[in-house]
Amino acid sequence: MRLLIALVLGCVIVLCGSQSLVAHHSIAGEFDVTKTVTLKGKVTKIEWTNPHARIYIDVAQPNGTVVNWNVELAAVSALARNGWTRNALKIGDTVTVDGLHARSGAPIANARSVVLPDGRKVLSGTADQ
Amino acid sequence: MKAHLVIVVLVVATLPLLAQKPGSDQPSISTQRLKGPPSGPVPRLPDGTVDLSGVWVGGGPINDIEREGGLKPGELDALMLPSAKALMATRDVTMEPHNRCLPMGVPRTTPFPFRIVQTPTHKAATHIFILQEGNIHSYRQVFLDGRKHPPDPDPTWYGHSIGSWEKDTLVIDTVGYNDKFWFDRRGTPHTEQLHTIERWTRLDLGRMENKVTIDDPGAFTKPFTVTFMATLSPPGDELMEYICQENNQYGVHTIPGFNPLTGETQK
Repeated sequence: MRLLIALVLGCVIVLCGSQSLVAHHSIAGEFDVTKTVTLKGKVTKIEWTNPHARIYIDVAQPNGTVVNWNVELAAVSALARNGWTRNALKIGDTVTVDGLHARSGAPIANARSVVLPDGRKVLSGTADQ
Repeated sequence: MKAHLVIVVLVVATLPLLAQKPGSDQPSISTQRLKGPPSGPVPRLPDGTVDLSGVWVGGGPINDIEREGGLKPGELDALMLPSAKALMATRDVTMEPHNRCLPMGVPRTTPFPFRIVQTPTHKAATHIFILQEGNIHSYRQVFLDGRKHPPDPDPTWYGHSIGSWEKDTLVIDTVGYNDKFWFDRRGTPHTEQLHTIERWTRLDLGRMENKVTIDDPGAFTKPFTVTFMATLSPPGDELMEYICQENNQYGVHTIPGFNPLTGETQK
């Protein structure tokens, strides 16, 4: 049992550390791999769909306005095989997303990590699936 | 003593249920996959035929058919006809048929698993189906009943496949492909003259080799052979729903000038 727990913990660390997302396509076509964004805000919508799950978050701007960002995650089946369900997040949760910005400059990001205020990483997907 | 026996039987009977209980401390499928495929002897059907059924991952190219298929760098480019090279030069990742939820053809695979199913009959199987979870739900149908290819099949994404056994190797011979899918994300092309011969050999319980000969006189100067390995997914993994069309936003707002119907971008 201890071995099992150690194995699970070890793998969780590995999986969360390497947050490359499995996708049905090459990410570089849509997202600028040199342009990273860090977004903090409340979750307004969760789409537990394929080919990608998505969350939408309200991000406050320095000028006082709010921009709703569309954050692309891994495929639902990839997330599920990592043990995640649609209940990993709920509307109103505050998250910090590190991601790649859409080439168009629109408020769309491909998530590299999604982190809760207590530091827990959620909804990680891996490329080896 | 009897009571103990009952308890033991009950516990043993309940174990599989506990192992699949959501929220338990069972490692996720991805965690189990990190341990590598299971080992053990090749499973066989009662008549002695190799049993290929199961949930498999891999067994084909994704990013680069030359590298992943075991060829030397530049080997495939050297076989490519000028027309194929010219076509490949027009392609970039944004034009991938995958992006528009179209199938991946043969021998390409995806990061998602597939299940091989043989039709059970009182005699030998007449069909094998390869059920694909991604990149869209689709299936390949392989006829094992001894029929021949039709003389002039209409082109399709998976072509017309007939299978036969050579000792323990399932040989799938396919013609009648369309020219729309890409062998890999690099855009390695082919034509409707494509003819593939896949040799699937289950090496042990957890590994299945796919040695594919690709013969396409419309795109390559001579046939070539590439080799891939599929691995058995851990027990408990099943195909999952993957409706690619449901929420496919590829390129719509991320790539300026992108047309999601054609996959082309107005520069």
